[in-house]
Amino acid sequence: MIRRWPYVALTAVVAVAVAIWAIPELDQRAFFGYVPTNATPTMLPSLSLDTRVLPDSAKVMLLAAGVTLLVQVYSTAYMGKDRRYRSYALLIVLFLVAMIAVVATDNLFVLLIGWEVMGVCSYLLIGHWWEQPQSRAGAMKALVVTRFGDLGLLVAIVVIGQTYGTYSITGAWVGAADQGQQHGTAIGLLVLLAVVGKSAQVPLQTWLPDAMPGPTPITALIHAATMVAAGVYVFARLLPLYGNDTTVMTALAVVSGVTMLLAALFALVQHDLKRALAWSTVSQLAYMFAAIAAGAADVGISHLVSHGAYKALLFLGCGVVMHAVGTSALSAMGGLRTTLPATFWTMTIGFAALAGIIPTVGFFTKDRVLESIHVATHGETPLPGGVAWALLVVAYVTVFVTAAYAMRLWMLTFLGLPSKQHVEPPSMTWPLVALGVACLALSIGEPLDLDTAALSTLVALAGIAFAWWRQDADLPGPVQRPLAAELGLDHPITRLIPAGTIGVARVADAADREGIDVYPRGGAVLAGLVSSAVRALQTGRVQVYASVIAVGAFVVVLVGVIAR
Amino acid sequence: MPLLYPLLLSSALFGIGLYGVLARRNAVMVLVGVELMLNAVNLQLVAYDAWFAETLHTGQVLTLFVIALAAAEIGLGLAIVMAMFRATGSIDVDEADRA
Repeated sequence: MIRRWPYVALTAVVAVAVAIWAIPELDQRAFFGYVPTNATPTMLPSLSLDTRVLPDSAKVMLLAAGVTLLVQVYSTAYMGKDRRYRSYALLIVLFLVAMIAVVATDNLFVLLIGWEVMGVCSYLLIGHWWEQPQSRAGAMKALVVTRFGDLGLLVAIVVIGQTYGTYSITGAWVGAADQGQQHGTAIGLLVLLAVVGKSAQVPLQTWLPDAMPGPTPITALIHAATMVAAGVYVFARLLPLYGNDTTVMTALAVVSGVTMLLAALFALVQHDLKRALAWSTVSQLAYMFAAIAAGAADVGISHLVSHGAYKALLFLGCGVVMHAVGTSALSAMGGLRTTLPATFWTMTIGFAALAGIIPTVGFFTKDRVLESIHVATHGETPLPGGVAWALLVVAYVTVFVTAAYAMRLWMLTFLGLPSKQHVEPPSMTWPLVALGVACLALSIGEPLDLDTAALSTLVALAGIAFAWWRQDADLPGPVQRPLAAELGLDHPITRLIPAGTIGVARVADAADREGIDVYPRGGAVLAGLVSSAVRALQTGRVQVYASVIAVGAFVVVLVGVIAR
Repeated sequence: MPLLYPLLLSSALFGIGLYGVLARRNAVMVLVGVELMLNAVNLQLVAYDAWFAETLHTGQVLTLFVIALAAAEIGLGLAIVMAMFRATGSIDVDEADRA
């Protein structure tokens, strides 16, 4: 039996250290975009260990540390008998450390390193059960798709360094404040490419649902605390470098608007609890991006933290359900209300937060997102008013769909006839209770805008009523089928792009074989010709050799005489 | 006597000897060619020795060395030819590799 407490203790030590570091920073009267006056830009591309923790960073750090600790505790029961538990538990710690590096660092290259380490950790953890082909495929897809986005971040870092003469984030902020935002469009679109890959937004959205064969605690970790959150965070953190750029903000608004609605619709038609929750994450991340597009990065981060709490709760609860039922198919569930009581109550809070029902934290942060988009429609932000209106409408429609799928998942999982008896290990339920309490406690002191609250609650209740009316029935066929097939959006990534890559590889191979190889092959032919000429001299007759020597000596003497 | 005459004779001997070595197929005649070339060199050594009138007579001394060397060489060479004849029944140098 593997001893598991040392890993939990290690995680706890890291989490406590992060808490000691981050909690005092929460009080700062600063926000993203605040430019300190005493910043000294470093002019050289260095791997400086400088950190800059602002209140929003501190919130994300506390979220990451807290969720990781709970996931580690939970994993002692969920993964304790796994024969690769050691590497699993240590990779979780590495994941957390990489996330903290991304969040806290003031150096763009350290940020890139942390970003890439997270990519590798997610690859290894999603592929933890690599004996299953779909685990391997999901892990590889996650790695390849996010790596494609990472290209954007790397180029963006170089452009930032060339523009502002520094690789310090604070230094670049100072530069942008002094000289205005230069090359904002280029930097913004490159960073957008990176975060679209990392946070699974359209058109790079498909890796996140396909990462579901990984262990469920890892899914909770990736969806709530680390990987996808890093995309939102980094975009917000670098916002002072392109926040005034209309093109970037419009692109972000379009991406987030399309993603939030599509992903929510995909979640509505899933027959698999875990995959539905994965699409729900994609949709909720789009909310955060929508808030950033509306110029309210702090609102986006607030929703990030709140989503981290309730999505970790939902995935960990989903893990308990899968542990009990043995599958993540919704058809095998139902009636778990009485057999898994703790999971039922905590997940009810989680689903309520997802749907945006008062008094959960999801309600408040989602309302602030809607409110910030509404403010943006007044035309005082870089986002064009028309785009903001469209985004607002899409966001409200998504509130409806979100409430509907949250209700549908909740009904299909917990209501219905009681099933046979199941067990909930205490080390799995305690993290759930902690997160459920957090989902309620975090909402204390959140501001409330009554108009938005009333409207969003009405829309959400309509969504719940819709789900109650449909029960477990599918949507009408012409709507259900394309949505269940996820509109074939996966097709370009899994078919066309590999096919294109293979085509390019064939061309390159032909060019190599037919073009470049001419030179070495020509050299070989030439050497063969020369050697066949020389070979004629090698007759094996000593007298011929002696003749050659004699003639040669004669010629040498003759030349010597003539030259003199 | 001018130096030219012995040198011309020496060159002629060397050329005939070289021809014998390169062109003849009979192993004995090849050895005869070698002897001719050696003696052409001897003639030159003696001629230059007389021409320079050196007190130590290095040329004449070297000639004696070459004569001794040539005697040893022809003894060895003829022994090889004998062995070759016994082995192959021929003293044709082109067929020596058929043994």
